[in-house]
Amino acid sequence: MRRLPLPFAVLTLTLASFSSHLSAQEEVYLQVTTPGLRKVVIAVPALSQRPGTDAHAASVYLSTLRRNLEQTTVIVPLDREREALVEVDAAGPELTRQRWRAAGAQFLMDGTIATVGSQVVTEIRIWDLASQEVAYSRRFQGTVDLVTTMAHTLANEIVTLFTGRPGPFLSRIAFISDRTGHKELWVMRWDGSDQQQLTSHGSITLAPTWSPDGQWLAFTSFLSGRPQLYILRPTEGYLRPLSTMSGVNTSASFSPDGQQVAFAAGPDGRTNIYVVPAAGGEPVQLTYSRAIETQPAFSPSGRQIVFTSTATGRPRLHIMDAEGTNSRPLTLEDTFADEAAWAPDGVRLAYTTRSEGRFQIATLDLRTSVRTVISGPGNNESPAWSPDGTMLVFQSNRTGKHQIYMTDADGRPRQLTTEGNNIQPSWVVRVQ
Amino acid sequence: MASFGTLSRFSMVALVAGVVLTGCARSRPVIAPEAPIRVEEDRRALPETPTEVQPEVPMRPATYPEHGVAAGELPADLEELNRAGFLKDVFFETDKHDLTEEARNALAANAAWLRTHPTIRILVEGHCDERNTSEYNMALGWRRANAVRAYLVSLGISANRIETLSFGKERPFVLGNNEWAWSQNRRGHFRIVGR
Repeated sequence: MRRLPLPFAVLTLTLASFSSHLSAQEEVYLQVTTPGLRKVVIAVPALSQRPGTDAHAASVYLSTLRRNLEQTTVIVPLDREREALVEVDAAGPELTRQRWRAAGAQFLMDGTIATVGSQVVTEIRIWDLASQEVAYSRRFQGTVDLVTTMAHTLANEIVTLFTGRPGPFLSRIAFISDRTGHKELWVMRWDGSDQQQLTSHGSITLAPTWSPDGQWLAFTSFLSGRPQLYILRPTEGYLRPLSTMSGVNTSASFSPDGQQVAFAAGPDGRTNIYVVPAAGGEPVQLTYSRAIETQPAFSPSGRQIVFTSTATGRPRLHIMDAEGTNSRPLTLEDTFADEAAWAPDGVRLAYTTRSEGRFQIATLDLRTSVRTVISGPGNNESPAWSPDGTMLVFQSNRTGKHQIYMTDADGRPRQLTTEGNNIQPSWVVRVQ
Repeated sequence: MASFGTLSRFSMVALVAGVVLTGCARSRPVIAPEAPIRVEEDRRALPETPTEVQPEVPMRPATYPEHGVAAGELPADLEELNRAGFLKDVFFETDKHDLTEEARNALAANAAWLRTHPTIRILVEGHCDERNTSEYNMALGWRRANAVRAYLVSLGISANRIETLSFGKERPFVLGNNEWAWSQNRRGHFRIVGR
C-alpha cells in the first residue's frame, strides 16, 4: 500500500503528566501522539447503498469503522454535526468534495455497499481533499456475518495508509486468568471483548507469548505436574510439548522468523537461557552463568536477545548476540529490572522496574539510553507492546486484583479485564 | 664490625653530598641512569597481610547407611503420610536461597528421618513470596528447592530419592501482602511421593 507523506506518520513516544483521580500521587501516562500534532480529519459519511442492501449490515459496518477510527492515535472521523452541514450534490461530486473540505475534513471516504444474497461487497475510495485525488481505493467482499471483520479490515488499512504501521483492530491479546480457580491461558480482542479460554489444564499456566505471525502460542504449564514449555496452534487447538528439560521452562520468546523459541531452564537449581526449534528438537544452551538468567526476548532483527540476569548481584537487563556471545549489562541504573519487551522498532524496550517498593513499567531508548519510568498506582508489571509499537498493555493491581490495562490513544490506562486475576499479556497483530 | 659500620655510614654521607654538589655545579639537573636494584628478602619482616588460619574441619562419627524402619509402619496412604508431618518445611530470607541455621537444623532432622526410612522418596517444592516478578520467582524457587536437595545429599541422603520442583509465587501458602505472609511463602516444602 502507498504510504502518505504526512507529518502524522511520525509518532514519537513522549510523556505527559495528568493528575490522577485514582491516587493522590501524580501518574505519568505513556502518550504516543506528539503534542501539537493534530489528528487527520477524515469524513466518514454513510456509504451509498445499492438497491436491496441489508440496511442493518451497512449500519454496523459504518458504526464499527467510525468507532475504530475514534480509537486511533492519528485519525479522527469528522464529527456528526459538521458532517450534517455538507449538502451532497449528486450531480457535482467535485463540488461536494469541496464542501467536505470546507466543513473541516482533510480526507473523505466514499463508496458503496451492497448485499447480494449472503455476501457483502464494499467499494471504498479515500480522497485527499487538498489535491482532489484518490489516495486509496479497494473493493472488499465477505459474508454478512463478517461485516464487523470487514469494518476492522478497512480501519486497519486506513491506519496503515496514514502511519505505515499495522492497525490493531483484528489484534488479539493472550493472557493468564485465574477466574476459573486455576491459572489458564485466555485470549481477547485488543479492546477486551471476546474473552475466550484456551486451556483447561486445571493446574498452573504461565507466560504466554505469540509467534510473530500469530499462528502459535508458546507458554509454560504444570500440566504434567512439573513446569514444561508447550506450543499451541490456537486455531486448531493442537498442543504439544516444546521443552520437557529439567528446570523452570518459562519465559518463551519467538525469534522474528518464528523458527526458534528462546526460554529459561536448567538443571540443579540453575536457570539459564536456552533456545529450541519451534518445530521441536533438542534445546541448545546459550548462557552458562551461575547467576539466575531468565526472560529472554529476541530483538525484531533477530540478531540480539535481551534477558534478565543477576550477574551484577541484582536482577538487571542484559543483552547478548542471538548465539549467546557478547553478553553485557544494559542498565545499571535500575536496582531491579525484568520482563523486557522489545518494541517493533527495535529501538525501545519496555520492562518492569521497582520504584519505592512497587513495580513500575519503564521504557529504555537504546539509541539515547534514556530511561523513563511510567509510574502508576499499585504494582504495574509485565509490559507488552502493541503490534505497531504505539501502545503498551500491562498488568496492574491498582484496584486490588491484578487486571490487564492498555494505554489508550491518549496514553491513559484503560482496563480490559475484570473477572479474577488477569496477568502476563502478549499482543499479536492477527491470529492466523 | 662496628668500625666497618661507621665507615660505611661516613661514605654514604660523602656520596650524598657529592651528588648534591654536582647538581649545583651544573646549569640543569641530570638524572643519572638507575643502577639495577637488588632486593634481598628480609626474612625477619612480616608480610602485610596475615595468612588466615582456618579451624580444622571437625570430624563426625560415621552416619549409618540409610537403613532402619520399614515403610510398613507408616501410613499406607500418601496423603495421610504427608499430613502426619514427618518432614518439616524450611524457610528462606527475602530473595535468598541460602539456608539459614534454622533451616539447616530442620533439614538435619529431616535427613535423620529419611535415613531411617530408606524407601521414602520425596519432592522438594521451592516457593517464593509475591514481591518479585512471576518468572524470576520461578527461577528463585528452583534454586531454593535445589539448595534443600543439595544439603540433604550432603547429609548422606541419596540424590535419586529427592525430586525438586519450583512453584515460584504461583501456589502461595498464605494469602496477603504483609511481612508475615511473605515469610510463610518463602519456603522449601516437602512432599512424600513414594514409600
